[in-house]
Amino acid sequence: MDRTNLRNQLYSTAILTFEELGFLLPDEDVNDRQSQAGLSASSRIRFRGPEEGWLSIRLHGSFLPELTANMLGEEDPPSEQDQADALGEMSNVICGNLLPVIAGDEAVFDLDAPDVQISAQPPNSPDGEFVEECVVGIDDGRVELQLHLASPVTSGKD
Amino acid sequence: MALNVLIVDDSGVMRKSILRTLKICGIPLGEITQAGNGQEALEVLKDHWVDLALVDINMPVMNGIEFIEAARLLPECRDLLFIVISTEGSAKRIAQLDEMGVSFIHKPFKPETVRGKIATMTGVDDGQDELAEPAVQHGDLDF
Repeated sequence: MDRTNLRNQLYSTAILTFEELGFLLPDEDVNDRQSQAGLSASSRIRFRGPEEGWLSIRLHGSFLPELTANMLGEEDPPSEQDQADALGEMSNVICGNLLPVIAGDEAVFDLDAPDVQISAQPPNSPDGEFVEECVVGIDDGRVELQLHLASPVTSGKD
Repeated sequence: MALNVLIVDDSGVMRKSILRTLKICGIPLGEITQAGNGQEALEVLKDHWVDLALVDINMPVMNGIEFIEAARLLPECRDLLFIVISTEGSAKRIAQLDEMGVSFIHKPFKPETVRGKIATMTGVDDGQDELAEPAVQHGDLDF
């Protein structure tokens, strides 16, 4: 696994997904305001296949309702259930796009349903070994993405 | 010709997002039905004529591929067209869909990608002038 490619793919997939699915414009750099925003929601999705692991996403700031409304195409404030559904779908899309980088285009993976929390309480860290992370600035906050694998990474460029 | 479309996805937000994209596309829409998994989609097919099914792969109870295989056994669905809309990145699984004669759209998607794929498959005019609100909506399920 090329760790540099993995980090780039994690970053670019997050940017693309928030742009095309959430109709938000992520910032390449996180500014002071975004870096100070508090945790508002988190998601963890497990994948199984040639590699097993988890992608965890932590949202800081208050943009999840806007993201959800954009996905729904509705102006009314979205319910908490819809917000959880929206974050879960974002997790699903980002993870699905990342997996070919982990194990190649031919690998077939199955994804569990995302475990989403709309809460300022930090979620438990996923099991397995931390592999890679990236942070993307969005609106008044940021998104932190972390990849964990169940088995140790045996090759890498870093 | 307005298309009767069935949207099959376990995410209610994603179903609405796809419907929103269809409206943006300007594809003439007839009846829009929705289902949260393949089993529910088969139930919808019993009561509604559907021209085009937009189907996710990873769903509980019955996944998208199982649904397509089951639907094709129904005599009334022999002309039904399928497009899988999924995060799937496996070339092996995409090749499997191709062998099944099922078209594929990768998530995340742009409206023009959806419009182009549907227009190619159905031959339905995708002119923006023909933007139409769906006549009836059934099965808007909350999951």
